[in-house]
Amino acid sequence: MLAFRAYSWFLGRRLGLTLLTLWGLASLVFLMIKLMPGDEAQMAAGADASAAQIEAVRERLGLDAPVIMQYLSFLGRLLRGDLGTSIVTLQPVLADLEKVLPSTLELVFIAMLLNLAVAIPAGIVAAYRQGGIFDTTSRITAVMLGGMPAFWLALVLQYVLGSVWRVVPISGQQGYGMNSPVVSGAPTLDALMAGNFAGFFDALHHIVLPAAVLAALFATQIFRTLRAALLGVLRSDFIMAVRAKGATARHMLVRHALPNSLNPVLTLSGTQAGAMIGSAVLVETVFARQGIGAYMFNAVAQKDAFAVLGSVMFIGTVVCLVNLIVDILQLLVDPRIRAAQLGSQSQ
Amino acid sequence: MTAPAIAQPATARRKEGFTPFETFVFTLVVALLAIAIVGPLFAPGSVYNSDIANSLMPPSAANWFGTDDQGRDVFWRLIVGAQTTLLSAFLVVTLYSLIGVTIATVAAAGPRWLDEGLMRLTDIGLALPGMIVALGFAAAMGASLRSAVIAMAITGWPITARMLRGIMRQTMEQPFVAGAQVLGVSKWRLMTKHVLPNSLDVLIVKWAGDIGTTVLVLASLSFIGVGAQPPSAEWGATIAAARGYVSTAWWTVVAPGAAVAITSIAFGLLGDIIQVRRDPSLRGN
Repeated sequence: MLAFRAYSWFLGRRLGLTLLTLWGLASLVFLMIKLMPGDEAQMAAGADASAAQIEAVRERLGLDAPVIMQYLSFLGRLLRGDLGTSIVTLQPVLADLEKVLPSTLELVFIAMLLNLAVAIPAGIVAAYRQGGIFDTTSRITAVMLGGMPAFWLALVLQYVLGSVWRVVPISGQQGYGMNSPVVSGAPTLDALMAGNFAGFFDALHHIVLPAAVLAALFATQIFRTLRAALLGVLRSDFIMAVRAKGATARHMLVRHALPNSLNPVLTLSGTQAGAMIGSAVLVETVFARQGIGAYMFNAVAQKDAFAVLGSVMFIGTVVCLVNLIVDILQLLVDPRIRAAQLGSQSQ
Repeated sequence: MTAPAIAQPATARRKEGFTPFETFVFTLVVALLAIAIVGPLFAPGSVYNSDIANSLMPPSAANWFGTDDQGRDVFWRLIVGAQTTLLSAFLVVTLYSLIGVTIATVAAAGPRWLDEGLMRLTDIGLALPGMIVALGFAAAMGASLRSAVIAMAITGWPITARMLRGIMRQTMEQPFVAGAQVLGVSKWRLMTKHVLPNSLDVLIVKWAGDIGTTVLVLASLSFIGVGAQPPSAEWGATIAAARGYVSTAWWTVVAPGAAVAITSIAFGLLGDIIQVRRDPSLRGN
């Protein structure tokens, strides 16, 4: 009973914060629309709209009403899922974005796997052999990677690995004739569902470099965080006790030190999952992949203001929801976070 | 008989002075600043005039880093771009620090409801993807370097505000603050003359690292197309313009990217060094 109350208290607070954030985001986007120079109806209707069309848009968006009424009707339209209409595709922005979201999520998922698969072992080895050759080189690598612009790293690797060495495809998501019927919108998943294994490996082959570039941005943070946490734990008394007991280094690291250092890494990777969705805008377009980042990039290039701002609203919302899900998962997975989040209320 | 020498403590105090690595980083940062400030004065002729006959020439004695698709010298465009890039980054960090300091001070000094309100506002700012919101603002105001700088300034303050407010609250617990209160110092004077100056050192540490990340984000916004526009020599815009020539003229892309990387790494390392010097227990981490 107590636990139930604590859980619902936590969920309520967390949901409240999410709603507040979404409202804040919506208000910022409204502010952006109001900041646009020139006639809003003209922008929404497109550069070559006729006077009658512009008037129709002005009527539909209620732009003659006072600003406060416009704000309320803007919020109302958002609640109905109306993010505006693209002047390029002439489709609702939400419909455009929904089509390409799975592709971005696929990229972010694989990037996250690569991120953790590289950064966690590297962090363990670096901390265990602090000051050693591996520690030094991986720390230097982390500093260098952390300072590189992602889109530039993407361009250079695309040239070296794609054009010069030809180990990965230069761009795109699938090779010619490899596509499977679109079900989910994510090429790897679609290929699996169609039982098309050649297509699956082809899609993986296309995604590995973009995902690695995206992962490189974030792996440096995971590496630093895990290394620092492990160094702290390795100095503590209970590790000395484990060593005195005669445990092997492997047992000591994997069973004792690591579980006590993973907490900050979990928290960080949660926020990273959201941030990666935003960073997709820097990577997708270099590799000519579909996705919300590439959609936004093209909208900027084509001066499609409402598609840009709709994408901001959409990406912001997805990031908030991902963070919410990660927080709840973390609560379910880690008993210490459960204690910290729920404990104060259940006493 | 001479008195036994006083034993040195086991952990001898760190020698004053700089390690070779620290000296290297300081030199690098000073060199970058010097290049940004005086470098453009030495540029031969205009870095914006095209000279199509000389386009996409590989690095040579005449053009150290080669020429771009317009036949402009890549090296001198980098030097001119250094000024644009670093000046914009300094402006961004200064502006959002000012906003952050103001919000933190008002929150720490103000009534509870105001503090609560401002901190929820900060929560919102922290929960949103900063670069995407900045992108939206810059696109809405009309893509330009000015828009990007303003956009980053209005989205960059939450971390500063959150950190500083916490520290100011701690400082307010200090006896000297109570002393000043007893002496009848006004609330405004108490905050600005006593609490704020004694809480700011954390921000100074954060500042150097922030320059590094700001250079990165600014270059990203320009690459996406909402920041500096061609023919600007700003590094991100330069990479965006050279994007199509990676395979025919790699130097046009590699040089400005390396400039962004070196600058952001140098300022990031400077931040780390200052932090470790303030808190030596962090050394080795």
